[in-house]
Amino acid sequence: MNAIEALGQYLVLVQSNPGLFRDDPPLLARLRQEALGRLPGEIESYRADKTIPAECRPDTMYAPDYGINLQHLEMTADVASAFRCGVPNLNCYLAVVVGDVVHFTDSMLKAPEGLEVYSLRNVPEKYLDMAAYIGRRGDSLNALLLSDGIYIRVAEGYEIDKPIQIVNIFNGSTPMLTPRRVIVDARPMSAVKVLLCDHSQSPDTPHLASQVVNVNAAEGAHVEIYDIEEAAPATRRRWQLIAEQASNSELTVSSAYLHGGVSANEYIIDVNGDGCTTNLSGLAICTGQQVVSNKVTLRHHGQHCTSRQLFKNAVFDQAHGAFGGRVIVEEEACHTDAAQTNRNILASPDARMDASPQLEIYCDEVKASHGATTGQLDERALFYMQSRGIPRDEARRMLTQAFMTDVIDNIGYEVLRQRLHVLVEKRLNGDAASCSTCATACHSNTTEQ
Amino acid sequence: MNQTPQPPCEADVLSQATSGEYKYGFTSDIDTDIIPAGLSEDVIRLISKKKGEPEWLLDFRLQAYRYWLTLEPPTWAHLKIPAIDYQAISYYAAPKDSERPKSLDEVDPALIDTFNRLGIPLEEQKQLSGMAVDAVMDSVSVRTTHRERLAEMGIIFCSFSEAVREYPDLVRKYLGKVVSYRDNFYAALNSAVFSDGSFVYIPKGVRCPMELSTYFRINASGTGQFERTLIVADDDAYVSYLEGCTAPMRDENQLHAAIVEIIVEDRAEVKYSTVQNWYAGDAEGRGGVYNFVTKRGLCRGDYSKLSWTQVETGSAITWKYPSCILAGEGAVGEFYSVAVTNKMQQADTGTKMIHIGSNTRSTIVSKGISAGHSQNSYRGLVKVAPQAEGVRNYTQCDSLLLSPTCGAHTFPVIEVANSSAVVEHEATTSKISEDQIFYCNQRGIPTEEAVGLIVNGYAKEVMNKLPMEFAVEAQKLLEITLEGSVG
Repeated sequence: MNAIEALGQYLVLVQSNPGLFRDDPPLLARLRQEALGRLPGEIESYRADKTIPAECRPDTMYAPDYGINLQHLEMTADVASAFRCGVPNLNCYLAVVVGDVVHFTDSMLKAPEGLEVYSLRNVPEKYLDMAAYIGRRGDSLNALLLSDGIYIRVAEGYEIDKPIQIVNIFNGSTPMLTPRRVIVDARPMSAVKVLLCDHSQSPDTPHLASQVVNVNAAEGAHVEIYDIEEAAPATRRRWQLIAEQASNSELTVSSAYLHGGVSANEYIIDVNGDGCTTNLSGLAICTGQQVVSNKVTLRHHGQHCTSRQLFKNAVFDQAHGAFGGRVIVEEEACHTDAAQTNRNILASPDARMDASPQLEIYCDEVKASHGATTGQLDERALFYMQSRGIPRDEARRMLTQAFMTDVIDNIGYEVLRQRLHVLVEKRLNGDAASCSTCATACHSNTTEQ
Repeated sequence: MNQTPQPPCEADVLSQATSGEYKYGFTSDIDTDIIPAGLSEDVIRLISKKKGEPEWLLDFRLQAYRYWLTLEPPTWAHLKIPAIDYQAISYYAAPKDSERPKSLDEVDPALIDTFNRLGIPLEEQKQLSGMAVDAVMDSVSVRTTHRERLAEMGIIFCSFSEAVREYPDLVRKYLGKVVSYRDNFYAALNSAVFSDGSFVYIPKGVRCPMELSTYFRINASGTGQFERTLIVADDDAYVSYLEGCTAPMRDENQLHAAIVEIIVEDRAEVKYSTVQNWYAGDAEGRGGVYNFVTKRGLCRGDYSKLSWTQVETGSAITWKYPSCILAGEGAVGEFYSVAVTNKMQQADTGTKMIHIGSNTRSTIVSKGISAGHSQNSYRGLVKVAPQAEGVRNYTQCDSLLLSPTCGAHTFPVIEVANSSAVVEHEATTSKISEDQIFYCNQRGIPTEEAVGLIVNGYAKEVMNKLPMEFAVEAQKLLEITLEGSVG
């Protein structure tokens, strides 16, 4: 079966079974309807995309046969108390997504004034248009098969005190495709932090997580999105962050890839207003056969905007890392200051790294730069450390950890920053990165309702 | 307090910059022998027959043509290329006097005059600069100088068709070995219809005593030019080859799809310098040459070296990626480029460095200058094969924007499959700052000159790599392209 047929099967499935999504909530029905129209064209464009590794192309990722939870059935999981992610002492508003079914915990149900969180199945009538508008972009296959998701709305002028944490868990014995969606609507002058954590409790079951995060940052809003992936080798993840920024808004996105199989991450940011700040960063530690791709499309429309990108990869064993960054400065985007940095360490003979940092500039009043390096740890630094009695392996770990430091320091949230330092250290030591106190530790199967 | 006179504002300088007319725009009236427009197997047989080619070469052409029929023009470049009617082009134009002139006196006086107006007096160059010039006028070589002196050293420098007649074994051995006819759309087209070009062979251990030079020129109206250059440097040989071109002004677009193949053996070195100044079209973007060129060198010898230097100022559309395949142990590839676009010009140019051998090194320095409504892109690939140990690459690509309506883009791709490689890439995009201009003004340098000064300083790193004789011309072309003293 070729790729087009593999993707087309979903289209045929939905088109030929009008009653497939019974009691389809209005928002999901709308997103699905729009996706139906877009999908055929999008499938064509997948094929043409040669900028990311073959494993990360949507046509490859969606090609195997996966089960889909069309009837929105509950899956087994211990929702109540167990799901504290690898970030202890993290006082947060917690939602847990098991497969593609959303559960809100008590903390979320007691959300403070100014914060409203809904399942995409129950978005109130008054927010439907806005939610559909923000959610209009993203992978069409995600929208086509979507049966649940989370809508977060932060009212004008409110600053949410604690982060909103969304823990995605996969647990099952059959190969599954789980479409997940988070729509964040940050109203003017609001501030919100969202932390997304991915886990797999069935490390050997093939699982495709298709995740789209739509962000709308209105005038003066501050939005921070943190993403930690701690899945399993059999996990395939297609993650999209699609954000639109209005004037004077600030967007920070930081991702940490610690465990997983294939992880194809895409960041599509449109800076529409003037005076915006955009901060993107990501770190990836890839071992074994892992493939990690980060692809950024950052489009500057507004004037006097600043954007910073910092992506770092440490690639071990037979792993394959890829970075594709594209900064577009449109004709009207005067006084843009855009910088893009990609640094990579190739740590073993069979590791592979591709980098493609691109600039498209249509305006002369700009400062734009990019840099990409691929190399090894500094031999002299290693020698220096060895001469002071630190074993070579230990020295390598320390230097690799130091290499990742500036990405972690980019994270504006203190508790998470500290935790990530520990997680990265553990990861480099070969330990399972997940926290010992965390019940969602990838390899525990103690989750029963 | 006295009012100091205001220096001309930047907008004035910019408008002057775009008003510079193409100085080399003229058409000389030389009788040319043109095959009617259109492309078919019969046309290819006719070209081959007119040139008296052997059977194997005709087969090569036909194979390429049949393959070309299956291809679509590439669309991945950051270029807007109007549809080209390949059946409306005449694929062969040769000066009618097919007898090769024996001395300079026998060369058509109009042709000599053309070169004189270009500022390239053959006779003078022959005597003064010590260069051997193989002047290509509409696809067929009409004049080759310094042949005897080179022949004494065993160096072969002749037109391609001559090489096919006199050194068929050499040509057959190397033709299409670096750029196969299956390489891309334009390479296939060139392989099918190439008219002429230059052939250079430097034997083992020979250091070519002079810069070899060819001036290309599109002349007859409505003809495409399909040059093919093949340079072979045998073990321990050295050659510096110059390619420069200016083309007369005309209204319809012209297609130029050339191929340059270079083979560098053990410890040999080839330096290939280009100054490209095809007609770029007028201020509205009418006319101008389409320059779709495939240039590639194979450094298959150990410790071989290939250096590309290019100054691209002309052509309406440039699609050109001089590349190095670094296959030998310790081979070195270099790419130095200045690409200037003005008015409605579009350029998508860069390089590929394919590291296959161990301890291979490459350096890329690309300087883009965009003005007017032009679009200027750098596109590059640095690839390190899994078996290539100890590879080193350094890439720097800078863009200078001289108008608010132009575009400067960078599309580098880095693929590293060996952990011992060190690959660096950096790029910046900026405009000339007010401060710099003000500083110059303050010291009595008018804005116009100041911009020229800054642009020349910006491009100097690459200009320095050009051979002396060329550097002067390149400097001149930079000025002409951004005329009115640059903006």
